[in-house]
Amino acid sequence: MLTSLLAKASSLLSEPPTPPPSSRPTKTVLFRTHFRLPDTQSPLQEITCELTLPSGEHYTGKLYLSESFLCFSPNPPTATSAAAATAGVGFTLPLCAVRRVERLHSRSYMFALAITTWHGVGAGAGAAGGKEERITLQFVGMRNACEAFCDRLKKGLRAQMAEVRNLRTLVESCYSEFLLGEGRGGGGEEGGLGEGGKRRERVVPDAGLGLLFKYPGDARKLRDKSKMRLWAEYLRENGRNVTLVRQPTFHKLIRVGLPNRLRGEMWELSSGSIYLRLFSPTLYTDILAEYEGRHSHSIEEIEKDLNRSLPEYRGFQNDEGIGRLRRVLGAYSWRNEEVGYCQAMNIVTAALLIYMSEAQAFFLLSTLCDRLVPGYYSKTMYGTLLDQRVFESLVEKTMPILWEHLVKSDVQLSVVSLPWFLSLYINSMPLVFAFRVLDVFFLEGPKVLFQIGLAILRINGEELLDATDDGAFISILKGYFGRLDESAHPRSDNEKLRAVTRFQELMVVAFKEFAGITQSTIMEQRARHKDAVLSSIESFAKRTQLRNLGPESKRLTPPELSVVYDRYYGVLYERQARLQNIAEELEKIAAARKSSSAGLPGAGGAGAGNGERGRVGLGPTPGETGMDYDCFREFMTGIAPWAVATPHSSAASPAAGAVAEGGGGFFGKNLLNPWGAGNPEPADHDFLKRLFRRWDTGMRGQLTLANVVTGLASVVGGKRDIMGMINYWFELYDDDGDGKVDREGILRITEALLFVTRRGYGGRGDEFGGGGGSGEADGEFDEGRVLSAVSGFTRMCFEYADPDRPQRDHHHHNSSKPRTFNEKLAPPDTSEEEEEDLLGPLDPADIDRPPPTPSEKANLALDPSNPLHITLPTFRMVVLADEVLERFFERAFAETFTLLRHDGSAPVLQPTTAGPNQRPGIAVQTTAAARVLPVLPASPAIVTGTAKGLRGVLDNMVNDSIHRLDVPGCE
Amino acid sequence: MASREEAGAPKLSSSVKLVLLGEAAVGKSSLVLRFVNDDFQENKEPTIGAAFLTQKCNLPTRTIKFEIWDTAGQERFASLAPMYYRNAQTALVVYDITKPTSLTKAKHWVAELQRQASPGIVIALVGNKLDLASSNAISANADDVDDAENEDRRAIPTSEAKAYAEEESLLFYETSAKTGENVQAVFEAIANAIPESTLKPRGGAGTGMGGGARSSANEGHSHAVNMADATRAAKEGCAC
Repeated sequence: MLTSLLAKASSLLSEPPTPPPSSRPTKTVLFRTHFRLPDTQSPLQEITCELTLPSGEHYTGKLYLSESFLCFSPNPPTATSAAAATAGVGFTLPLCAVRRVERLHSRSYMFALAITTWHGVGAGAGAAGGKEERITLQFVGMRNACEAFCDRLKKGLRAQMAEVRNLRTLVESCYSEFLLGEGRGGGGEEGGLGEGGKRRERVVPDAGLGLLFKYPGDARKLRDKSKMRLWAEYLRENGRNVTLVRQPTFHKLIRVGLPNRLRGEMWELSSGSIYLRLFSPTLYTDILAEYEGRHSHSIEEIEKDLNRSLPEYRGFQNDEGIGRLRRVLGAYSWRNEEVGYCQAMNIVTAALLIYMSEAQAFFLLSTLCDRLVPGYYSKTMYGTLLDQRVFESLVEKTMPILWEHLVKSDVQLSVVSLPWFLSLYINSMPLVFAFRVLDVFFLEGPKVLFQIGLAILRINGEELLDATDDGAFISILKGYFGRLDESAHPRSDNEKLRAVTRFQELMVVAFKEFAGITQSTIMEQRARHKDAVLSSIESFAKRTQLRNLGPESKRLTPPELSVVYDRYYGVLYERQARLQNIAEELEKIAAARKSSSAGLPGAGGAGAGNGERGRVGLGPTPGETGMDYDCFREFMTGIAPWAVATPHSSAASPAAGAVAEGGGGFFGKNLLNPWGAGNPEPADHDFLKRLFRRWDTGMRGQLTLANVVTGLASVVGGKRDIMGMINYWFELYDDDGDGKVDREGILRITEALLFVTRRGYGGRGDEFGGGGGSGEADGEFDEGRVLSAVSGFTRMCFEYADPDRPQRDHHHHNSSKPRTFNEKLAPPDTSEEEEEDLLGPLDPADIDRPPPTPSEKANLALDPSNPLHITLPTFRMVVLADEVLERFFERAFAETFTLLRHDGSAPVLQPTTAGPNQRPGIAVQTTAAARVLPVLPASPAIVTGTAKGLRGVLDNMVNDSIHRLDVPGCE
Repeated sequence: MASREEAGAPKLSSSVKLVLLGEAAVGKSSLVLRFVNDDFQENKEPTIGAAFLTQKCNLPTRTIKFEIWDTAGQERFASLAPMYYRNAQTALVVYDITKPTSLTKAKHWVAELQRQASPGIVIALVGNKLDLASSNAISANADDVDDAENEDRRAIPTSEAKAYAEEESLLFYETSAKTGENVQAVFEAIANAIPESTLKPRGGAGTGMGGGARSSANEGHSHAVNMADATRAAKEGCAC
């Protein structure tokens, strides 16, 4: 039955892969993954070639050349090949580690090179010893292809000469160097390091805390000595550290467990982190120096956990070990601030530090987080959740009966398996076994975590089928991990079988029975589940964030909040991705101009930027801190029609800029459009700037979601409050907060009123709890009335403004003028009671204020040397004096914000080019315009009812007043 | 003493799923360790994902077996929490009385639970690290103020947290996992606060969707004691 299940499983696993094309890794990415190369490398040349090793083995495969490496593999790195996961046979040779390349003339029609590596014996010595120590490469290909490869190789070698110093530093820090150097007694290696005299005094390279505090486990039981002997032999024959050639024995030696002192070096070699260290030898110490004494949230969190990382290991019970852990975690948190620090990293890093130096651990941690288990430790931990989903689906496929049982008993597998993955089994198994898993994991990649997990479930399958809740499930597995060192077949008659431990059984099941789980299986599954996982993270994040926005947010309804949230992040991320694309596009254009030949190393090939950005679930991106002003403008276009720029075509008036500046130029509907093709172009206006500044309570030049929600709540949230809204506007223009708005401010308010109402005016409906309006059947005012109200507003502001100087005595008339003013101009349908209410907030001082004489009025308005201002009570009075303005502040302004449509859905962006249809308040009601008596003199323009007309009149008016103000010395 | 197991007492026995939530390093795991093993460790490894432990609590009329889910506290683990508080009948939301931010976080958790967890979940708000507050350490001797050891590190007044707890109808306790003060009391209070109607007989019906798959072999003694209650509880259990 087992076998049939297995057959079924493997047939399922070999389903045709259907990941979306975008998620398929590019050739460059596959190349880097295959050879464990840094992100700076890309395949520049490749050629079929036959490799002959000094030991005599032959392999046919492909030889690749990148910027700094020469790589060989018999299995080409493809997405579907299982070999993509394993480093396979072959080598990854840094060009700086090539000592000499000779052209061989063995057969005339063949093109062959002999390569002497850094660790090879010096020139000629190999021949002298009668033993070939060079790697021979016979090219198979057209002559010109071979020539091209060699040319490129020559260039590369020359360019990489500079790295030799780094190479020397790196090599000296490797334990293998020490091991073999000693083994050979310093004799045969003279040429190798060129400094033979010093070898005796050389200190033992840092091979982790284990050197100081003992390595975990019993070295005898681990057969550490004999493993070391085997490794020494392998390294001697096949090169070591950077020049190591991987043969099948390499993999076998790793599978049986690495010896303690070589473990760290082999981890960094098989994961490729050693190459990062090679090219950035001082990065680690540089970061430490740069950030010394600096504090951050991550640093704080790290401090909390330092004493809680493998506390039972002696090395972490003292300052030495704790100090190393602190520095490595700290340095990584600075290097990658988006990840910062995540619990479980402390445990993983502590484990690494037992076997390797701080710098080694730092680069290996980077490789781990960036490449091996991406997203595991990110702020949203999406990688962890994704892999749990993948694991579940693999369990479902390979062990359907167990899966069915889990579902039936409502046991969530991930409550058990999540810690396995997150801490790479270090927390779950006894350390010695966890390290064995890590040995294979670094060599073969993340699929190992899945294979081990599946094997654990398979081995315990019978018992697990009896467990009916999470608790029982957990305790079975806990028990199993505790007995990993016991015999797997204690009652067997076969002595050999009896000697097999449970851990060995686990390894066999994992890598034999689940050999079908390859790296490409994992990649496909990840691609398949990614969207669902991200969506669930996002909905959780949204829920949590919306709930924790503070009391102000309660003024918006949950559906409104939801719309604001979506729009906020939608714009933020879309914009980020767009700007990044534009930058890339420009770069490409620039690069294309520069040179049309070179294959643009790195650019575009990575593709990591595109798919991996722009989703909340992926966690914060590097630049993201909030919404800047431009982003805010874009945000506003979706919720307020006036925030959409007026298309240039219809803004015929040259003075239009005064009202609505056109924003950052229209690139047209192409890739370079900063607002995104098809999106409306946001307006840019003083009013928007003021709104932005007002909402930016932290004065950071950036709005957080909370800022935006609070800002919106203060404008559109809750009940309509005319006094509140009047105050709000006044404060927007009271720059220094002294309770006065000066002449400039008055004009700016005027502009803002025109700006906001230019796309129509009036309530759009009752959804904001309005609708209590008395007798406003049509609910809208036409353009003419708006215009006249605004112009009246300006006029009255100037009329009732106070001079900035101390008041003069002779103005002391006794008058009830303001009251009559109110009576005269207040909306006729306002009841007695309301009127009293409206007058209430007026400052008595203002009521007693003398009416300005006609001549004084003129002076105040015209004379710039005669500064004036209005106070809040004056502003209120002026607003309340006009029915249109009153309505505007009472609800019309708030209603220009559309968070929800009538049907409860989010508003859909309208393209700016929609033309007159977008201004229903004006275009539809042209006839109504005739009914109203325009108070303004420039009425002809109004009657036309077009944008041009309205704007023209207003521009004239605004220009007029500015012009008047500009006239100097007008006594 | 009430929580120590008394073998053979034929009382109604039910299992209760309890989840601990709260900011990192407020002492969630330590509270559990104190409750389960009556032990305290200065340096406990941070919880990765969640830890699972069980402990019985004997009340005069019944025995409650707590199935405790102790969750990771770091902010980024929050998105995993629904996995653990799902089906929980009770929750301990823990904060550190010396850290104001931890109470804010606790309030977030309470809000989350009230909206997302099983309806009727019993929530207890627990202020831990009471041993760091001086009113506790030195009550009579006010001259010791200079003594750094006894420095009062309390940052959240009892009254403030209590008022909040009352407002949200939460159980409220201040505890010290280090000294053990009030730890037992919290769990007992929770055990008492769980409505009879939501109790299920032990054996996993609470988490089992398909009650049929339940194996009662290892929980044989628990069922037949109070027929009325047991059958009612079983029904409820399946309904969940």
